[in-house]
Amino acid sequence: MKKITPLLATLFSLIVVFPIVYSFSASFFSYTDFTSIPPRFFSSQPTFSNYTRAFLESNLAGFLSNSLITATMGTLIRLSISILTAYTFTFFTFKGRDVLFVLIIATMLLPGDALLIENFITIRHLGLIDTYLGIISTSLLAPTHIFMIRQYFKMVSSEYREAAIIEGCSDSRFLITLLLPISQGVVITLALQSFTGIFNDYLWPLLVTNKESMRTVQVGITMLGFSENLDYGPQFAAITLLMTPVLIAFILLNKNIKESVSTRFTGR
Amino acid sequence: MNKQGLIKIKPYLLVLPALALAFLFCYRPFFLTVINSLSNVSLGGKRTAFVGFDNYGRLFSNASFQDSLSNTLRFTLFFVPTNIAVCLGAALLCNRKGKLASLNQVFMFLPMAVAMSSSMMMFKMMFNPSIGIMNHLLNSDIQWFSDPKAAMFLLVMAGVWLDIGFDFLLLSSALRNVPKELLEVSNLEGANPWQTFTALQLPLIGPTLLFILVNNVKDAMLISAPVLILTEGGPFRSTQTLVYQMYLEGFKSGNYALGSTIATVVFALTFIIMLLLLSLERKRVYYQ
Repeated sequence: MKKITPLLATLFSLIVVFPIVYSFSASFFSYTDFTSIPPRFFSSQPTFSNYTRAFLESNLAGFLSNSLITATMGTLIRLSISILTAYTFTFFTFKGRDVLFVLIIATMLLPGDALLIENFITIRHLGLIDTYLGIISTSLLAPTHIFMIRQYFKMVSSEYREAAIIEGCSDSRFLITLLLPISQGVVITLALQSFTGIFNDYLWPLLVTNKESMRTVQVGITMLGFSENLDYGPQFAAITLLMTPVLIAFILLNKNIKESVSTRFTGR
Repeated sequence: MNKQGLIKIKPYLLVLPALALAFLFCYRPFFLTVINSLSNVSLGGKRTAFVGFDNYGRLFSNASFQDSLSNTLRFTLFFVPTNIAVCLGAALLCNRKGKLASLNQVFMFLPMAVAMSSSMMMFKMMFNPSIGIMNHLLNSDIQWFSDPKAAMFLLVMAGVWLDIGFDFLLLSSALRNVPKELLEVSNLEGANPWQTFTALQLPLIGPTLLFILVNNVKDAMLISAPVLILTEGGPFRSTQTLVYQMYLEGFKSGNYALGSTIATVVFALTFIIMLLLLSLERKRVYYQ
């Protein structure tokens, strides 16, 4: 049993990782490599032409820049709103505070997918189809972020803020010079999560973009026009290009990722 | 406005953006969806008449919806146990020390690094019946996209691959938190691995398993985008799910009323599941 376990684990993990390895390898295939019999795992003569074709014969570069712009914009606005909201709910006492807080957090109970039709109509009325603002609009409110940042802010007693205000410190200065530095960890984690979340979003960007020039890369990658013609090389190249930076980050940060999952979801 | 008034109104101004977004993109569309499900809606999205529960009657006698409902339930029924078995198996096998073990672990969670649409494009190409690698590897001639059973099986596998990274990490960390002393004692007492698992590890990772179970059920009931990319609901609607049909009715046929009715059914289903999740979580907090 002791000897079989590593063997089984290795076999299992190789099966799991196979699609990634194959995509990487296939991105260097020539057209005939895909149809050769018996099938190939490695190219007969590796070629970079799939990568150049993916860029030259499709709008991949444009899709990529749309995604980078919307993910950056979305992350900045989303975090600003989350921090501001969490701050207000932690350090201010005002009438109806708890009700309003519950109202914001309870939006978690409404699955975004079921709201697609009405949200689409709203965005169309506002004339935001084919705009960056339209693409990020439904990701700007993040109840889980507000909740988590508030948990961090709660560690600071509200007497600190009162004392600071009496000494003539403004709210914004208190927030920037004291609160944000101590909650740096959670803010960075949430920023990364927001960025990848918005970057990887698929269904909503698909619905609110009609013009090809406004498509994000996750939508665009399914419509490059190669795989429909069984021209798989450039399609695999585009996928490889998109996943490689994230894969490298995951491998380098693998210890941190394991830790963050265990602390975030078991509450220890 | 005087200074006192400004101080009073300040917190409301600060939470206004979040409240406005909650209203505009969550509560308003939610109520409009429910109202639309009780109305006739024109192609332009205007309500023309209140029709009570007519849409629901029409929906439940709609053959396409019956397919969606049964496909969604079938998918959930296949996906959830498969996914939990695979992820738990992976976590148990990798719950060791050493260089090889940590390499195994990295491989297991790497699928998490690939975005959903890229993953589904990979699967689509690898499972192409004529030039995809999978049929060659399996030495088979399975028509992955035109045989209903194969298409459903493929969708379940794709779902597991999309989920494995995250669920594996959750279960691994739960297994790591099982106290070493207890494992040593059970080893000394001569318990075999299966006994150790059922009597010791399983109860201790129970809360994590419950969390994964409920989340998987919720995700499975809502599955749509992988269907859209991988199988487009086919063949013969055999992989058409609830949210995918909602998308078709709302965006392809312009049938807002029917789309909204499906959305309301989806709200009700997920609401029940979310309540279940919250009550389970409350129990978990109580445990610790």
